Amino acid sequence: MTLDPQLILDSLPLIAQGLGITLKLLFYSSLFGIALAVITLLMRISGRWYLSWPAQAYIYFFRGTPILVQIFIIYYGLPQFGFIRNSILWPILREPFTCCVIALGLNSGAYVSEILRGGVLGVDKGLTEAGKALGLSSPQRFIYITAPIAIRLSLPAYSNEFISTLKATALASTVTLMDVTGVARTLVSQTYAPYEIFIAAAILYLAFAWISYVALAWLEARASRYVKKGN
Amino acid sequence: MMKFKSLLAAAAMALGVCGLVQGAQAETLRVGMECTYFPFNYRTPEGEMAGYDVDVAKGVAKIIGADLDYVCQKWDGMVPALLANKFDIIVASMSITEERLKKMDFSVPYRVSIGRFLGPKGKDLKLFDEAGKPVPANFDGLRIGVERGSTYSSWINAKLPGATLQVYDGNEPMLLDLANGRVDLAITNPMKAYLDFLSKPDGAGFEFVSPPIDEKEFFGIGVGIGVRKGQDELLKRINGALETMIKDGSLKEYSLKYFPFAINPDNWQGVGTN
Repeated sequence: MTLDPQLILDSLPLIAQGLGITLKLLFYSSLFGIALAVITLLMRISGRWYLSWPAQAYIYFFRGTPILVQIFIIYYGLPQFGFIRNSILWPILREPFTCCVIALGLNSGAYVSEILRGGVLGVDKGLTEAGKALGLSSPQRFIYITAPIAIRLSLPAYSNEFISTLKATALASTVTLMDVTGVARTLVSQTYAPYEIFIAAAILYLAFAWISYVALAWLEARASRYVKKGN
Repeated sequence: MMKFKSLLAAAAMALGVCGLVQGAQAETLRVGMECTYFPFNYRTPEGEMAGYDVDVAKGVAKIIGADLDYVCQKWDGMVPALLANKFDIIVASMSITEERLKKMDFSVPYRVSIGRFLGPKGKDLKLFDEAGKPVPANFDGLRIGVERGSTYSSWINAKLPGATLQVYDGNEPMLLDLANGRVDLAITNPMKAYLDFLSKPDGAGFEFVSPPIDEKEFFGIGVGIGVRKGQDELLKRINGALETMIKDGSLKEYSLKYFPFAINPDNWQGVGTN
């Protein structure tokens, strides 16, 4: 087995053609995930069982099953039902891209919801009590006191989740999408050189993971600029 | 003159005796096949060997005047078993490849490698012209399902550069997506498509929407009868038998027993094509 470094270099620009789809998947599913996470977080901390239970069931289901299974259920499972193929949802579910955004978003939403809940629970009780004393209403206290601190506390865990989602986008190649992994697998089937091609794909993922890491670290530092150092 | 005539008679007699001897103890041809590969070589519930490969083997044996002895052999040990003289020929739907030709010889193909497009019934998409050549413009905007890295995807890339490909890791998910309407067309091996899809309820609304595409540089030469190297005499007789069977239409007749379309080579192209 010899490694051909030239093949790694040659395949990089080809595999980079898949970067657009990988990044679009990451962007839309993260956005969708955050929206879901905020909604389910509010449901969970609402104190009403009929809101909290469905949110907990959702989080339990999506944290407890593999993303690949979720993608297959949404992509191959749902169209088995004729009423879904005839519904107004079909133009959305017909596309492999939107199926993946839905699956990755639902999955990431469940994790981010838990991360945010950890952040909310980490906010010092004294701060909300101070808000109460100032006469702020419950929504005001959440928006102006709890949320900003909870977000800062959640950021380190969120940057992990973001990079997990980046890596999970590789599963989109199983449902015909030509993301970085999809292009790489197709090249492998033509060149029979899995070693070089997948190394090239790994380099692209690493490069983007590094950019994400730096950006989120900067955001974290910025969000913590009022925090006493060494705290 | 008299002497010459008697010599001729003696020679004729000698030949006749020879022929008789050969007829009395007919040679037995041991045939290796899986015996489990429907509908090519398999056992019927009554225990009889049947299938396209079996019909071809029987046809060849009849023409060259040999008896058949079936040897059931697992696929991964097929070529080693031939080389170890466990049987004389392989008639097991084995594709003729460069790799295999290094170890063994093949007859001319008795089944061709073809690709065919599948699509919904009743849509006259005019994808192919009268001569059976694709019309690239009519593929514009259509989504075509193919298997990743398959010869079919190479063919589309070469012939229909404007087509939108949707790449699958297997035949089943691709046909599922065709049934679900995620792709407009799919290209695959028509035998697989017929057995797994068109003959099943899921495939009821679908049909072949192209003629068989038989391009050797993309899809390979086809399936041949395998023999050990150095068996040139046997190979010559087998090729002769296949020539007869292609020309008199028996191969076509066998193929139509199992599929509603021909899977045999249409016309005799001579030995040496592989």
